[in-house]
Amino acid sequence: MIRLRDVSLKPAGVGQPVLHGMTLSIPQGEFRWLLGPSGAGKSSLLRLLTLGARPASGQMDILGTSVTGASRGALRNLRRRIGFVPQDYRLIGEWTVFDNVALPLRLRGRSEREIRQEVFSVLEWLDVAAYAHSRPTILSGGEQQRVAIARALIGRPDILLADEPTNALEESQARRLLSTFQELIDLGTTVIVATHNESLVREAPAQSIMLRDGTLDPQAVAP
Amino acid sequence: MSRRVSPGLRSGSLPLLVALMTLLAGLALAGLSGIQSLAAGWSQAARSAATIEIPTDIPNAPDRTDALVHALKALDGVTNIQKLSTDKVQDLLAPWLGQPVGSHKGLPGLSLPQVLIVAHAPGTDLTATVHDALPEAIVQEDLQWGQRLERLGTSLTGCAWLAVILIAAIVILSIGITVRRSVAAQKRAVDIVHSLGAADLTISSHIAGRAALLSFLGGIAGLILLTPLTTSLATTLSPFAHQSALPATFPTTLDGWWTTLSILPSSLLKELGALPLIAACLGWLTAQGVVLVWLRRLP
Repeated sequence: MIRLRDVSLKPAGVGQPVLHGMTLSIPQGEFRWLLGPSGAGKSSLLRLLTLGARPASGQMDILGTSVTGASRGALRNLRRRIGFVPQDYRLIGEWTVFDNVALPLRLRGRSEREIRQEVFSVLEWLDVAAYAHSRPTILSGGEQQRVAIARALIGRPDILLADEPTNALEESQARRLLSTFQELIDLGTTVIVATHNESLVREAPAQSIMLRDGTLDPQAVAP
Repeated sequence: MSRRVSPGLRSGSLPLLVALMTLLAGLALAGLSGIQSLAAGWSQAARSAATIEIPTDIPNAPDRTDALVHALKALDGVTNIQKLSTDKVQDLLAPWLGQPVGSHKGLPGLSLPQVLIVAHAPGTDLTATVHDALPEAIVQEDLQWGQRLERLGTSLTGCAWLAVILIAAIVILSIGITVRRSVAAQKRAVDIVHSLGAADLTISSHIAGRAALLSFLGGIAGLILLTPLTTSLATTLSPFAHQSALPATFPTTLDGWWTTLSILPSSLLKELGALPLIAACLGWLTAQGVVLVWLRRLP
C-alpha cells in the first residue's frame, strides 16, 4: 500500500519544490503506469517512493509505515522490501554481476547456498547467467538493464518500481518483463513503471499516474 | 566466494602515510626512551658524587688530607674516593686559569687546591665528617646538577611526548582525509548499497575494516623501516648510557643488529610492537567516524 497526502519534495539547494500537492493511493498488489513528459517529476516521485529522499511536507505511508517520521532503522527495513530498476541501472562496476544481484539477499542474511541458487535462477531467466562472474561494465546497455532487473526482482519485493525498464530491451524481452510484472502482481506486489513507451502502455492497459509540472494531472489519473 | 555487502576502501596512499607516521612515532618513542634513560643515569651519577676542595696553603695539609680520606672511607655509604692529581686539577681549571707556563702551576700567587671526588650512596651526609676532620675543606654536593639534569630530562620527555601526540593527531587526520577521499570516490557504490537497505554500521564496518587492515600493514612497513634507525640510535647513545653490552660501532651483521635490538628496554620494544596495532585501531575508529558522519547525510 502506498499513500501520499499533499506531499512535496524539495531537494536541498533547489528553490522550488520539484513535486508538490501529491495525493495518491495505490492498494497493495496493483499496477500503475507512471507517465508524463520529461521534467514532469517522474524520477523525483520514484526517488521519493524508493526512499531516496524524505518529503518536505505532507504525509507519506509505505507498506503501513509513515515515512515522514520513521527512524533510520525503519527506513532501512522498508528499503529491503522495495525493488527498483533505475534508468541508469546503478550497478556497482567494481563488483561482479553475481555480487550485484546477490546484494539484496545478502543484506537479508540469507545463506550463500540459497543466494547462489536464486541468483543463477534469475540470471538464467533473464539470459545473463553467462556474465555472472564478469563485471557489469563490460556488458551492453541491454544486458546491464537485465542485471538491474534481476537485482530488483531477486528479493521478491513488496513494491517494485521501474524507471524506463524496457528502453534497452528487445521487444520480446520487454514482453517477458511485462508478464513477469503480472506474475508479481498476482503474488501481491505493487508495481509502478515509469515509461515513455506508448506501445508498451497500449499493450498492457492499466491505471496511470500522469504527472505534469511536478504535480498530478487530475484528468489522467484514471484511464 | 567472499560475501560482499558493501564497498571497501581504496588503498590509495594510506599504507604509505601510516608507514611514515609509524616511523616518526617510533623515532619519537625511541628518543623518549633514550632521553629518559640518559637523564636518569646522569641524575643518579650526579646525586651520588661530591667534590671536596682542600686548600693547600693550610698547615700540615698532606697529613690532614690523608686523615680526611681515612675518615671518609670509614663512613657508611662512601663507595669510592678519588684524589685528583695536580695536573688533572690544572687541566680542569685551564679554561679559567689558562695553561701552565713551564713548571709553574696556576697563576703566580694562587695555589691550586687538592680535590677529592667522593662517590657515595644517595643520602649520605659527608659534611659533618669533613668539618670535623678538616674544617677548611669545602664540600660541594653535585645534587643541584642532578636536579637540573632531572628537570632537563623532564622537559625533553615532555617534548618527546608532544611529538608522539602530534604524530598521532597527524595520523588520525591523514586517515580521515584518505577515508573521506575514498568514500567520495565510492559515493555511488555507497549510495546504491544504502538504497538497497544496508545498515549504516554494515557499510562503515566494511570500510573501517579495510582501513584498519591497510593501517596495520602500513604500521608493519613503518616498523621495518624503523628497525635500522632505532638500532643506530641505540648504538649512538650507548656510550652515554653506560651500556657496555652494546657494540661500539654500528652493527654490520644480522647478529649484531639483533644484539643491539635485544638490549633495548623491553618497555620500548613493547611500545614499538604496539604501533601497528595502534595504527590499525586509529584507522578503524577514524574510518568508522568519517563514514558514519557521511552516511548521516543520506536519508
